[in-house]
Amino acid sequence: MKTTLATLGVALAFGATASIAIAQGNPPTTTSPNPATAAGQQSPAGGPMGTTGTMPQNPSGSMGANSAPAPAATMSPQPSAPATAPMRPARADRN
Amino acid sequence: MPCPSPNFLRALRSPACAAAVAAVLAVPPAHARSSPAAEAPAPEVMQLVQRAVATQDNRGHAFAVVDKKRARVHVFGGDGTLRGSSPVLLGLAKGDDSVPGIGERPMAQIRPHERTTPAGRFASEPGVNANGEDIVWVDYDAAVSMHRVRTANKADRRLERLASPTIADNRISYGCINVPAAFYDGQVKPALGSTHGVVYVMPETEAAEHRFPFMRTPSAR
Repeated sequence: MKTTLATLGVALAFGATASIAIAQGNPPTTTSPNPATAAGQQSPAGGPMGTTGTMPQNPSGSMGANSAPAPAATMSPQPSAPATAPMRPARADRN
Repeated sequence: MPCPSPNFLRALRSPACAAAVAAVLAVPPAHARSSPAAEAPAPEVMQLVQRAVATQDNRGHAFAVVDKKRARVHVFGGDGTLRGSSPVLLGLAKGDDSVPGIGERPMAQIRPHERTTPAGRFASEPGVNANGEDIVWVDYDAAVSMHRVRTANKADRRLERLASPTIADNRISYGCINVPAAFYDGQVKPALGSTHGVVYVMPETEAAEHRFPFMRTPSAR
């Protein structure tokens, strides 16, 4: 009987220790390390959000409505187009 | 296999025999295109490649160099590593420029002297032609593309022209660059068929420096 009580005491002590260890673990937090963006929407492009929350503009202007398509043939180096640009419309080639 | 006699082996080692063998090896083979040396890019091509990569003209993209004088195309990785070479079919007419507006004209209205493959630096892009075939646009506005050789018109004998050792008969198209289908699927499509790239078409009527400014830098001399 004495042995049983001793065993039970050891088990309780171990359980209490484990509980303390678990309780001392860092719980998940929803706070952001950057207080400025903790409660708001972050810029997916990594740039400044601007006062209206609009997306940062692409410096190359390739997404703008007024942008003209790059010429197909150039005699001097041109900035490379994005690799994911959509295909141009199908058309007949010169065989 | 019978064992050669000692006299025959001695004859092979003689200076006269060695000279004869050297003379035979020095003669260019009749089918120059089939020799490894002929399939390697010409020095002008390698000079262009070295300058294009050194000046980052290709922006790290894979690229192709069309050697019009030799009717060959060479495909390179973004770092200038040669991936493959092949004979090509080019525009029928000699010349390095496209007639203005030719891309909008039906082929039936293109006259023989207008069937040129334009030279220069072209930002290539994957695309689809009017028949739904996947191609690589070289000059979209001028309707010049690189594609698998087309054999629908038997009179053109395009496969025979690609296989022949001569260069003159590789001029048959309306301006497009025809490559063997296996080469297109094995080299062109992986390099240029899914993303942007660069195609350098070397001129045949003037020096390459006139078409490619990056070759005019001091270190190119």
